[in-house]
Amino acid sequence: MRTAILYAAIAVVALLLQTTVLPHVTVGRTSPDLLLIICVYLGLHQHTVAGALGAFFLGYLQDAFSGSLVGLNAFGMSLIFTVVYLTSRRLWVDNAISKIVVVFLASLLKTVAVLLLVALFMSADGVWQTMLGYLLIEGVLAAVLSPAVFAILAHTQQLTVVEEE
Amino acid sequence: MLEFLRRNRVVLTSGSLLLISLLLLSAGARTRQRIDPVASLMREGMRPLQSAVTAAVDGVADTWRMYVALIGVKKENERLRWRILELEQQAVRLAEVEQTDKRLQELLNFRSTIDGSVQAAQIIGRDPQPWFGTVSINKGEADGIHKGMAVVSPFGVVGQTTATSAHTARVLLVTDHNSGIDAVVQRSRARGIVEGTLDSGCVMKYVKRGEDLDVGDRIVTSGLDGIFPKGITIGEVTHVTRGNRGLLQVAEVKPSVPMDRTEEVLVIGPGAHLKGEAP
Repeated sequence: MRTAILYAAIAVVALLLQTTVLPHVTVGRTSPDLLLIICVYLGLHQHTVAGALGAFFLGYLQDAFSGSLVGLNAFGMSLIFTVVYLTSRRLWVDNAISKIVVVFLASLLKTVAVLLLVALFMSADGVWQTMLGYLLIEGVLAAVLSPAVFAILAHTQQLTVVEEE
Repeated sequence: MLEFLRRNRVVLTSGSLLLISLLLLSAGARTRQRIDPVASLMREGMRPLQSAVTAAVDGVADTWRMYVALIGVKKENERLRWRILELEQQAVRLAEVEQTDKRLQELLNFRSTIDGSVQAAQIIGRDPQPWFGTVSINKGEADGIHKGMAVVSPFGVVGQTTATSAHTARVLLVTDHNSGIDAVVQRSRARGIVEGTLDSGCVMKYVKRGEDLDVGDRIVTSGLDGIFPKGITIGEVTHVTRGNRGLLQVAEVKPSVPMDRTEEVLVIGPGAHLKGEAP
């Protein structure tokens, strides 16, 4: 329970940063998706129902604060969690470099998934070109920031484990 | 069955959540309305935090912008200060050019009053010892300057050349104590020799006691020494000494040329004379 609260708090802080601070430090109109990095971390380290719910919650949180339809990012995050969860059970992705690669690929996957949903449920012409243009930048930004975010999350997880013991 | 559910509970949960997401999306897309009371509550809950962080970020951004602007102002200030210095230097240079132009014009006007060989020259050096009155000019033998030529300025006699090299010449000033020029009082035509003194002035010697000589009289060259053309101003009498005895009188003469401020001169060749004066 304590772990869930801590993750929720980190998610809120990440959302807060993403909606207030990070828009000031954009790279080519794109700012890093911190919630996606947290979602990948859950997929890599929280192989539980709570992890899956957490990923959905992250997406829903993003939907709540964005102008898109509710469910768009929730779907994207749930998909990321599922793919990373299944991948991490079959492949060894425990070193720093492979985690960075996973974050980069997850970012690409989420953008593509969101694009497909937009095409299915919304008729937003021109969104494709715009989003594809920033696909790589978004992935690189998330990958670059992932070691720091992972370190914070790992530290938090260790603290909760020690306290529970 | 339960074992299957238990083993795959994470995947099944994820699958369910994906399905829920799609249902939410579908419902939203169908109604074309965003009805989501939970999201509204979340946004409402986050509002104070967002406001506080945004205010802090804006504050930092404003401070940063102000800092950057201040750096800009500082640089601009520095640039303007240098510009002022440049313009001041330019103004000084222009004033100098104006002064030089005026002097050269005077020199040119004076040159037009002389018939014969005349060379304009610039004073490039002064005597390092204060008790000698000599200067160096930037013209020499290559320019036709030789020893014993008259050196004048628009104000009057400067001196005569005493030594020359290829491109320079040494000028003995009229105020040097080794200098002697045959002169006359312009008004009374009384003759004498004007010599320099150690205190950078001149005296007119060998004037007969009976000759008419007074304070304020202008002394000019006589033209009899074969160096200076006749009628060029040497200076003005400031004091006359007549002893109780003797045949001669002596006059103190203030040179008409400000020697320490003269920069350009004319070197007059042999045989040259002022227009209107006999050679």
